[in-house]
Amino acid sequence: MESNKFSIIMFSGTADKFIPLGILSQAAAAMGYEVNIFVTGFALLGFTKNPPILPFPAEFTKMAPDFMKGMEHANMPTWDKMLKEAKELGAKIFACSAMSTVLNLNKTDMSNLIDEIVGAATFLQKSSSGQIIFI
Amino acid sequence: MSEEKKVIDARGSACPGPITELSKAYRNSKIGDIIEIWATDQGIKSDAQAWAERSHNQILSVKEENGVIKITFKILNR
Repeated sequence: MESNKFSIIMFSGTADKFIPLGILSQAAAAMGYEVNIFVTGFALLGFTKNPPILPFPAEFTKMAPDFMKGMEHANMPTWDKMLKEAKELGAKIFACSAMSTVLNLNKTDMSNLIDEIVGAATFLQKSSSGQIIFI
Repeated sequence: MSEEKKVIDARGSACPGPITELSKAYRNSKIGDIIEIWATDQGIKSDAQAWAERSHNQILSVKEENGVIKITFKILNR
């Protein structure tokens, strides 16, 4: 397969945003892209060992129960299962070092989805000359 | 080494489940193998096309029976 890169900057900490993170990461890894994910902002809370329940954005809270039922009906795996699948296909997930410091998190506080804590420059280097999206 | 036909049953699996199963089967395949995927997620029709283009493999047939999409690939490239 041709190898090119697909990178995601995962910033948002709301439950709805983690679904496209899972789907696009798994799809890109399955398509043979080199996948690099940089987790920063409140999204990092979702990658801790004891993550809080991720909230839905205020404007969608009413829809959330039906939405979750729809996800179940569609037989959609949870976002962390999709990321696990992506990682089995070679995806790498990095935690932002600055945000780790702000939230007082060490590598041992993070879920095993996180490969490494890195600085922004490292992620820019890894993702250079590929596609990058911001979620 | 003989060529094999492998069937992947991804019925009921939502996107990107079917394409992931296909990719895994591809990793264990040999040139000349035939892989057939069964899926119910409509996305597989265009995703299969995209995957074949990207991996330089060939789609032999696309069939739809009772809501089940069956796509056959020939592995030309490893």
